[in-house]
Amino acid sequence: MKIADILEKMETTVYSPGDGEKSIDGVILGDLFSFVMAEAREGWLWITIQIHLNVSAVAVLKDVPFILLASDRKPEKELIERCAAEGITLAGTPLTSYEAAGKLYSMGVGGRS
Amino acid sequence: MTQAPYIEEYTIQAGDFTAIGEAATRFKSTLKMLGISSEAVRRAAVVAYEGEMNALIHGGGGTVKMTIHGDHLVIEVTDNGPGIPDISLAMQEGYSTAPDEIRELGFGAGMGLPNIDRNSDSMTIDTEIGKGTTLRAVIRFSPREAAARAV
Repeated sequence: MKIADILEKMETTVYSPGDGEKSIDGVILGDLFSFVMAEAREGWLWITIQIHLNVSAVAVLKDVPFILLASDRKPEKELIERCAAEGITLAGTPLTSYEAAGKLYSMGVGGRS
Repeated sequence: MTQAPYIEEYTIQAGDFTAIGEAATRFKSTLKMLGISSEAVRRAAVVAYEGEMNALIHGGGGTVKMTIHGDHLVIEVTDNGPGIPDISLAMQEGYSTAPDEIRELGFGAGMGLPNIDRNSDSMTIDTEIGKGTTLRAVIRFSPREAAARAV
């Protein structure tokens, strides 16, 4: 599913639009950077409650095009700026990580089939 | 034809958490520019990132150096920290001596060395208590890629 379609179907606040035409092939949920560095794959969406600059470093290194901040967590300014500079989509949602993952799964995003 | 190795090196400043991943990001750009396969680029990015994080959290800063040869690359992370008393314990997934405030930021999950080991073809750790630690990880290119680079 395209990033633009996900943003449209979910309740989100967009902080950095990124490339809405990019397709999301999978989802990872995690707040420990080493876990995400180990498990994330190119083209996945990352759900996290971490909001500082280093989130974007991990996304850049793993070619993650979409960071979704759960539980209404507000990103630090530096994170927004870096995502904008790198063309990464950064959005927030009032949904918890669990609810956001469930919603994405029910929309057919990135399930293992 | 044997080419001279390409070397890139960065300093990791103590306490600068926002900078974790900067060297890894620059290495990644260099490797992509040189046309290294995405598999090797991905592995090098993980190794450099975890190395930077270790040097910053546990080593009080240090250096991270990447040397690119014809058929492999080497990432070397050196710090002047306290050294690792028990390497086999440090290699255990989930074992971490990172303080709570660092773990709350998402660092220090106890996965750094296992991640480096998994993403390299060989890894050595030289450590001396009170002196510091040097980690050396080798990533080999595929035979096909190495042959293409030798032309």
